[in-house]
Amino acid sequence: MIKDPASASILKTGPGTKIRDLGRNGMAEYGIAQAGPLDHLAYLWVNHLLRNHQDDAVLEITQPGFSIRFDAPTLICLAGAKAQVFLNGKEAGSSGLIPILEGSKLEIGNFESGSILYLGIKWGFRSPSLLGSRSYFTGISDQDFIKKGDFIPYFTNHETPIIQTSSQANWDYKYLSESTIRVYAGPEFYQLSESEKEEIMGLEFTISTLKNSMAIQLEESFPNQLSEIYTTPVYPGTVQLTPGGKLICLLSDAQVTGGYPRILQIHEDDIRILAQKKPNQKIRFLI
Amino acid sequence: MVVKRPELRKITPRIWELFWEEEPSSSLRNTRIGLKKWLENQYHSKLLEIRQGYQTISIVWKNEGPEDFYTSLPKCFNSEDLKPQTWEIPVCYGGKFGKDLDQLCKEKAITKENLIQIHSQSEYVLEFYGFLPGFMYLSGLHPDLISARKRIPDRKIDAGSVAIGGKQTGIYPLESPGGWHIIGKTPIQIFDKDQNPPVNPQPGDFIRFYPISEEEFDELSASSKTLGQS
Repeated sequence: MIKDPASASILKTGPGTKIRDLGRNGMAEYGIAQAGPLDHLAYLWVNHLLRNHQDDAVLEITQPGFSIRFDAPTLICLAGAKAQVFLNGKEAGSSGLIPILEGSKLEIGNFESGSILYLGIKWGFRSPSLLGSRSYFTGISDQDFIKKGDFIPYFTNHETPIIQTSSQANWDYKYLSESTIRVYAGPEFYQLSESEKEEIMGLEFTISTLKNSMAIQLEESFPNQLSEIYTTPVYPGTVQLTPGGKLICLLSDAQVTGGYPRILQIHEDDIRILAQKKPNQKIRFLI
Repeated sequence: MVVKRPELRKITPRIWELFWEEEPSSSLRNTRIGLKKWLENQYHSKLLEIRQGYQTISIVWKNEGPEDFYTSLPKCFNSEDLKPQTWEIPVCYGGKFGKDLDQLCKEKAITKENLIQIHSQSEYVLEFYGFLPGFMYLSGLHPDLISARKRIPDRKIDAGSVAIGGKQTGIYPLESPGGWHIIGKTPIQIFDKDQNPPVNPQPGDFIRFYPISEEEFDELSASSKTLGQS
């Protein structure tokens, strides 16, 4: 099989665009964050449709205003947020396979629903792998984010891609409008009184503007008497309650240890519902 | 001191924790590290990873955890099996490398020489890594050097900075924001992303700091060494 090096050039990007694969699982004992995809299922789906290995690297785009040009034919796949997408100036869908010809330009405009879009490519992007992963992470990868002017390597077989109709599955956008997030009780949940527990479960929380790939802070304050704890492991999906009363929901780039009480742990399939939310959107927890 | 049997907390079907209610101590640390090693041997193929906290071992299973897990745990460990190593880390204290040293001495009403002596003559133990890639949680800070974290954290602390925060001392392995008091800097790299594993000291190992001059700092940084690599 022909697999020649090719590259895609970044013509435009907002902040936060990253290369992602399944991340550095097993490295937490050295203090290294997982850095896996924020929307795990959308990530797996693009690689599945491309018939890639599930650990093949993709682009994770979290802001509108992204533009990329491919210098050789390939097949790409999009999934995640519902966004405006243009292929060589013509409107295209924001989910499913898209055949790419030499010089094709793909642009991503506004995000109508959701805030994370994956762009997968046949055989994956070939940026350097460090400590078992190509995922960008400060202090490990050579750069923290994708920036304008970057060239990202990939493989091409020079053939015009053909999409088999059997591989045209539909991406279900329904979860983007879901607001209920299933949780388990965290290890320090029992330190809350019965009425505090009920209140947290009954409250509607607002996503604040303090949102990045490490964590999302919720707007509402929840005064509490919980004491800080000895430094303990935390995970993507851990919800911490600070002494100041803020709830902090950790995501895939979060530290591996923390000192705030861990009141909830989000169901792994529902982390993506939270991660896809934009500031000011509402959520509820369901235990 | 006898360490009690830990409590098992199943947070999710895949994330379980073993938790010891008691205050952190050297016997708890030895038990925890011994149990971690035992788990890695016993459940190697089922584990995605193991993480540690002062009172906690967390187990992330690849799928679901085994039903007979709790009853399979051993009753005790021989801490003599751990064979800790000692790692000596050069530090250039104060001056341009330790911008908060003078202020900290003032607050503690001790001389700079005295603070350096106390900090470098203590023996620290690596509890576990966390916070940043390669950041060592060290126990053993002398009570006279305990100092509350800064109210307003610094936006940028250089990689290699040696600092005191609360009851802990540590080295920033990477450039980062941080709220600890910077007392010096090591020219030795602790974390090397091009090596796997990227760090050499193991939980349970001893860490010692020794003072060096600015000239020695420059010489050592020119040779860009990583701790534990010759």
